[in-house]
Amino acid sequence: MAGRLSGGAARVRRTVTRATILPLLVRCGIAVAFFGALTVAWPVSIVTSRYAGVVVLAALWPAVAPRGRSVTLVAIAVVGGWIADTTWYDSRVALWRVIVIATLLYLGHTLAALAAVLPTDAVVNPAVLTGWLTRAGLVVLGSAVLTVVVLSLTAGLAGGAFLLATLVGMAAAVTATVLIARLLRRP
Amino acid sequence: MTVTDSPTLRAAVPPADAGAAEGWSAPAWVPTRALGRTVLLTGLFLVLGVALGRVDLVLLAAPFAIGAAVGLRRMPRSAPELTIDADGDHIVEGGEVHAAVTVGNPDVIPYDLVVLRTRTSPWVKLEDADRPFAVRVEPDGWTAVDLSGRAVRWGRQDVGPAAARVAACGGLLACRPVVVPAAGVRVYPETEPFAATEALPAAAGLVGNHRSRRPGEGGELAGVRPFAPGDRLRRIDWRVSLRTRDLHVAATLSDRDAEVLLLLDVLGEAGVSGGVEGKASVLDTTVRAAAAIAEHYLQRGDRVSLAEYGSTARRLRAATGRRQYLTVLEWLLDVRASSDSAEDFVFGAHNVSSDALVVVLTPLVDPRAADMLAGLVQSGRFTVAVDTLPADASAAASGPFTELATRLWRMERENVLGRLREHGVPVVTWAGAGSLDLVLRDVARLASAPRGR
Repeated sequence: MAGRLSGGAARVRRTVTRATILPLLVRCGIAVAFFGALTVAWPVSIVTSRYAGVVVLAALWPAVAPRGRSVTLVAIAVVGGWIADTTWYDSRVALWRVIVIATLLYLGHTLAALAAVLPTDAVVNPAVLTGWLTRAGLVVLGSAVLTVVVLSLTAGLAGGAFLLATLVGMAAAVTATVLIARLLRRP
Repeated sequence: MTVTDSPTLRAAVPPADAGAAEGWSAPAWVPTRALGRTVLLTGLFLVLGVALGRVDLVLLAAPFAIGAAVGLRRMPRSAPELTIDADGDHIVEGGEVHAAVTVGNPDVIPYDLVVLRTRTSPWVKLEDADRPFAVRVEPDGWTAVDLSGRAVRWGRQDVGPAAARVAACGGLLACRPVVVPAAGVRVYPETEPFAATEALPAAAGLVGNHRSRRPGEGGELAGVRPFAPGDRLRRIDWRVSLRTRDLHVAATLSDRDAEVLLLLDVLGEAGVSGGVEGKASVLDTTVRAAAAIAEHYLQRGDRVSLAEYGSTARRLRAATGRRQYLTVLEWLLDVRASSDSAEDFVFGAHNVSSDALVVVLTPLVDPRAADMLAGLVQSGRFTVAVDTLPADASAAASGPFTELATRLWRMERENVLGRLREHGVPVVTWAGAGSLDLVLRDVARLASAPRGR
């Protein structure tokens, strides 16, 4: 047990001493993105209470272990907090919050995808990072425009959910998911 | 069947299948965890949004869906091409090595991230070679990672193997690692300056640079003697003839060349090699000394041959000239310590030309080497032993008696050296230039004595 602990400590020390700046920045970006998303999504009363430490820990987890399930779980936690805040804490669905949460969630997700394949001690060509962030920026920009358009269109319908619309929406959701999954099998 | 029918012939070589011709199997692109996460989160947010009747949840799923659609609109079809280029032209120990790992992208989409890892021989110090490199490769393009550094020890050194792992489509797809074998770099030994002014003990043949002890056609004046039938007129020394009133001729010694056999004891390695700037191990000294001695005698026009005393028992035939020097250097690159220790190797005087000067480079650690030396001298070969054991060689301290045991072993070795000297084997420690002069003089004196027992 002691041997395993000391081996782990030596591995951590080696990782830290060999780490280079750009992979470290990527991991910092993941932590900042998820911290921002959690702070904006969760109710203010929780974020400012003594549970703030939990928020920080939850944001750091995907940055430390981007290869595991941490990113998925933290993203679900962000949306769970958002649903809780807008359902039980009676917060308004503000446009800026939706845009900020969507943007930060996607940035955290895509930076975690980069960190999962980028070793911490790598010598990174800056073109890798700029290319990756440019693609993420375009995606975020497109979805932000979509958000503005859709939220302004549905402003009058907020809260009015009809059975037919629900069924059509459900079918659309399933179709979209299956389509993305099938994109892989395309020749 | 008529004679005009063409015979049905079968191809002697089976047709190569398409996959083998391409050089790789099917491109191995696999989805990453990020793709699984994208599908899961998109589906979950959409279902939740529809179930709860919330447009904002659908909008939270939008970036994931758009990102996946942008990333996967075009799929990679082929595997990346990886090559290692190493500049292998006449690198001497301590010289610069230029190597590059190149990743080619034959596909129509960019490789967002290529992680390159390289392993090199411990004796090739390349800049940042122990770190992975992360680069981006545009479609139908290539990116080279330059690895420059120094080769610090002789031998065939490896640059590589290298492995590349590629992530494309925004990290949603990754390629299985592509590995290329290592590229070899030949690092020639640094020759320590060496010169021996003493004559070789026994020169053979009819041409060469060494004055022999036999009278004959040559450039070295041996003396003046009275004219005898058969003497050539141009040899007449007119000044002496006039003075003595009798015909005299200048007698010369014939010029001869000689064969030098360098016998390398590779029965074991001792000492720790520190590369070109550090301490020299037994094999380092052996190889560098062999290169220096070979260079010296080949420049003088002698024939030099090499042989290993060990399990491989490699030999290089005797030859002369610059080409032989290059062959010697190439041959020396493959010198390895013999792994088999139990076998009794057969290397006797019958392998050695009777006129050759045998220079045995040996640490004199293995008793078989001492036996071999004694056998060579007994059979009348002109033998010189060069001691290649480092002065500070000692066993790794493994117990309280290690130092004592080392001292005992050193005393025993001194004893062996003394007995060898008694047998007439001159043993000299390698010290570069002039190492062999004293012993060569002794051997030459021995050679002038009547042969035979």
